[in-house]
Amino acid sequence: MNTKSALFKEHMVELRLFGVLLGLMVVLSLISDRFLTVDNLTNVLWSVCLIGIMTTGAIYAPITGGIDLSVASMAALAGILANVFMNTLGMNWIVAILITLVIGAGIGWLNGVVTTKFLVPAFIVTMAAKTYLFGVAMLVSNGDQITIMEPAPFLQIGIGKLLGIPIPIYIMFTLVILSHILLKKTVFGRRTIAVGANEVAAKLTGVNPDRTRIIVYTISSVTATIAGIVMASLTQQAYAMNATGYELDVITAIVVGGTSLMGGSGSVVGALIGAVMVGFINNGLNLLDMPSAFHPIATGIVILVALIMNQGVSVPAVLKKWFARPGAAEAAK
Amino acid sequence: MSVSAIRRLILTGLLIAIGIALSIANPTFLKLDNLMTMLQEASLTGIVAIGFTLILITAGIDMSIGAVIAITSMICVNFISYTQLPAYIYIPIALAAGCAIGWVNGFFITHFKLPEFIVTLATRGILAGLALIIAVKDEQGFVKNVFIEDPVFLSFGETVGPVYIVTIVFILLAIATQFFMKRTRAGTNIYASGANPTAARLSGINVDRTLIGVYMFSGFCAALSSIFLAARMMTAMPEFGIGNELDVIASVVIGGTPFTGGIGDIWGTIIGTLFIALIKNGILKLGLSPYIQPIVIGGIIIVTVVADVWYKHHAEKKATQAARRKAMESKEVGA
Amino acid sequence: MSNNVKSDLLLECRGIDKNYNGPQVLSKVDFSLRRGEIHALVGENGAGKSTLIKIVTGITNRNAGTIVFDGHDVPVEHNKNASEKLGIAVIYQELSLIHGMTVAQNIFLTKEPLLPGLPFIDIKKMNAMAQEMIEKYGFDLKATDIIDKLPIAQRQTVEILKALSNKASLMIMDEPTSSLTAKESERLFKIIRMLKAEGITVVYISHRMEEVYDLSDRVTVLRDGKLVSVLEGEEITPAEIIRLMIGRELTEDESHHKMVDKRDREVVLEVKNLSAEGKLNDVSFKLHKGEVLGFGGLVGSGRTELMRAIYGIDAFDAGEIMYLGKTYSPTVEKSIASGFGFVPEERRLQGIMGGISITGNIGIANLDSISSPAGFVSRDKELERTQTAISTLNIKPANPDHLVGNLSGGNQQKVVVGKWLIRDLKLLIVDEPTVGVDIGAKEEMYQTIDRLSREGVAVMVVSSDLPELTRLSDRIIVLRKGRIIKEFTEGVVTEEEVLRAASGIVEGGAK
Repeated sequence: MNTKSALFKEHMVELRLFGVLLGLMVVLSLISDRFLTVDNLTNVLWSVCLIGIMTTGAIYAPITGGIDLSVASMAALAGILANVFMNTLGMNWIVAILITLVIGAGIGWLNGVVTTKFLVPAFIVTMAAKTYLFGVAMLVSNGDQITIMEPAPFLQIGIGKLLGIPIPIYIMFTLVILSHILLKKTVFGRRTIAVGANEVAAKLTGVNPDRTRIIVYTISSVTATIAGIVMASLTQQAYAMNATGYELDVITAIVVGGTSLMGGSGSVVGALIGAVMVGFINNGLNLLDMPSAFHPIATGIVILVALIMNQGVSVPAVLKKWFARPGAAEAAK
Repeated sequence: MSVSAIRRLILTGLLIAIGIALSIANPTFLKLDNLMTMLQEASLTGIVAIGFTLILITAGIDMSIGAVIAITSMICVNFISYTQLPAYIYIPIALAAGCAIGWVNGFFITHFKLPEFIVTLATRGILAGLALIIAVKDEQGFVKNVFIEDPVFLSFGETVGPVYIVTIVFILLAIATQFFMKRTRAGTNIYASGANPTAARLSGINVDRTLIGVYMFSGFCAALSSIFLAARMMTAMPEFGIGNELDVIASVVIGGTPFTGGIGDIWGTIIGTLFIALIKNGILKLGLSPYIQPIVIGGIIIVTVVADVWYKHHAEKKATQAARRKAMESKEVGA
Repeated sequence: MSNNVKSDLLLECRGIDKNYNGPQVLSKVDFSLRRGEIHALVGENGAGKSTLIKIVTGITNRNAGTIVFDGHDVPVEHNKNASEKLGIAVIYQELSLIHGMTVAQNIFLTKEPLLPGLPFIDIKKMNAMAQEMIEKYGFDLKATDIIDKLPIAQRQTVEILKALSNKASLMIMDEPTSSLTAKESERLFKIIRMLKAEGITVVYISHRMEEVYDLSDRVTVLRDGKLVSVLEGEEITPAEIIRLMIGRELTEDESHHKMVDKRDREVVLEVKNLSAEGKLNDVSFKLHKGEVLGFGGLVGSGRTELMRAIYGIDAFDAGEIMYLGKTYSPTVEKSIASGFGFVPEERRLQGIMGGISITGNIGIANLDSISSPAGFVSRDKELERTQTAISTLNIKPANPDHLVGNLSGGNQQKVVVGKWLIRDLKLLIVDEPTVGVDIGAKEEMYQTIDRLSREGVAVMVVSSDLPELTRLSDRIIVLRKGRIIKEFTEGVVTEEEVLRAASGIVEGGAK
């Protein structure tokens, strides 16, 4: 077997996505001459960072056939908690971050336990989590937009640059690489895919589906926490509404990246390209001076289109079937 | 006594207990004004919850209900600002829009075989964005506060005696829906489609059409609630309803309609709606931080669902054990 | 409607042919039913019984042949709804009942009686009508009982009532007693005779010869997709039916089916008095190194349950399992680590991960040997193992990246077996090794099992395919209702003997 062609085949999805991405860039550069500037592209990459970081962990839930809708609330809460630990309780910033990460992991663990042990659909559990985490965030911050002025090293996480490139971009790419390796090269990754592909078969070959899922939701919460810390540092602000609606962007990136919500397959790199695409679409709307309200509209449409494409349904066939349904002929008359 | 009857008794007991506790803690709670306002709040959620109950009976979910409220109120506002048409013309149009949105949801779910929650999450985003875009703006581009002056529209916010019209409509709609679900073939088909779609198809039920109908009804209920909400506020804002899904879900779930489909009725939803409204009012009356609200609502959903699953598991285990024992005994006799 | 003089035949099928794009499943089968008779349809697994029923009920279409039902020609493009309108009903175990609804609601689903002139259901009338039907047949039911709370036997009676309310003139029952107790079966037979008295024709499909013997007016025997014989009256005896089903005497070339006594070898597995409520009753046996132990019995006799208990999927209530001389309390993970392999009965639902490559399917059972202690999977080792499995089992296409869902049934089964072969295997459990597998792959599967046993692997085979069971086994244990009812240890065992034991016709065999 030719290894080169095998490698090519394995990354078909990602390559095709990359093609679409390039196409989108061409269109955008034709629409606006402000698009292909270093400033603008850096801006896009920067705004993609938070979604990208969340995506690296959130992608595991769909691979097992579940979903995590709590990532945005978790991120907002993480920023607020980190600020409380550092600036109200006066902890060292590293300790504060570590404690925040542990809390994030605990919440993800709880999501996983409730979903697996009590057989509650994941979207219900994580939606309820999204709500109560938002409540806790509001309660702790008293609903205020708290400005974070110190400590300086903490702020460097978000606004610092290394070799001219913002640090959050390093963080994102590190997490993408780690997540890609975790999914494709480790025992845990294999088990995650197996649970999503056929839980019964996986169980009969020695995989513990519950344990796997609990870890999956824990990872999802941890990356959301990391995104929240980066966000707090980047915006120098802790605010419960800071990430509102991001879960939809995260799902969009994952779905666009070719991951089926039915489970059994997924691509971290694809999701990253999906995140960049979401970033470009938003950027395009900005460049066209469209109001920000177009953002959820675009996201919603992109999700539906990507889902239908992932599902492999032929749209003309469905429409034809619908128009040919009994009663349609009479209705037309 | 059936499990659902016991559940309702417990809930009603809790309702009364919390009511007594609240009236001791804060005497203004028992004032007729407060009670009627609370009922009005409950009814606004409750109308949406009736549609949502049917959705859960089909084992589906509709995340777009809040956004339907937003978009229908914006449709009304546009008619008020840009046409001279009277309310009795554009209100039916707004209600029809709710149905149409439900149809789109149902079409994507049934014909493209996509997961319900993600389809309705996507339409939620689209509708929430559209509501902002079609909101009436002033010269600076800020959302303008359009006041409702049409007496027909405003009459939706009136009272009959001490009772708000919305409460009366809620109760009437609840009775009608309950009757529809239990006493018509269409209602029975909804239960069958949720409990066992394969068997329903084998029995000749058009499951796809049934599901689309249920999503349309859910859209209609949300639109209806939106009209009452706008009439009560005497204006409408593009944020109306956004995020209210959780109150609705909590009301229905605690009322005893599970996510697994095929089971549930409107009576449970009424009690659930009152329960959630009481909790929210209680948080207010006790002077607690309003931010506790989402924590309590989220917590209620998780605790209820976990308790339900735990109970069901427990009951099933007992039943299969008994059945097996019985089977074994008679096998011995037979062999 | 039709003014023709009604013939005494309700259904007449002539020269039915069916192939599913390949092997001929039915060839030139004639099948006729008289009005008001109880007609048994028998044959081994794969003889074509279910296909014939599917054609009659319109679930699949025939390739050739004519069908006349009640004087009407049934077209080739027949469908389920049309067959229901003609009056043909199939009694499913519980598939077509709606949970959460009452008995009456289920019986009258989509045809509920309405209040006069109104679109509202007349619940009182509906319950009364249902209750009337229940009482007419003397069923142990109430119209207002919720389906969920009824045992399976009673759900079946609801199915029958539903068919009766559809004015069915033909009722088809496929293995209706497989999950019923003896008492419940008796009650069902009474109902069937009552239906017959009403003039309803009943097609009865069963592997249980004594039931067929007791009930049937006529018996149609199918073998390998062909009609063998139609028995009537005195001709119907269990022994004769079994003889016709198997259809061949022992021939010289089958002498290699002779069982080999390997009971002097080292004991690999010993099961002592294993019991699980409602599934297994006091099962004890020993399994030796290099021995192929076959498990025969009817569907529902506890074979699969026994395998699942030994592998550690389901818990058991009492008894002990000894593995290599030590007490063993199984869990799946422990079993895999101790050298067990498990090939489940339902390949698509339990065996394969269709959306994943051959490598992925084989890798998942071998993560321990292809990964480093830190948890990283070695792609090279994984590919090497997969290549080994592909070449030893001759999996086609021999492309490790091929999705398992796109393989043929035989090759899918090879993947499921293959994931265990590349381990240090000591005990292989195979449940129905060749269901849905073509003949070539079948023979390869047998050779693989033979080879494993020569290499010293102890094998337990569950099979409803009798030639397969006798072909593979060194010793055969027959289960019936969760108990070991017969053990064949030496000489040549015939399929007939196994089937007799499984059906409960054992001359002095049962305790």
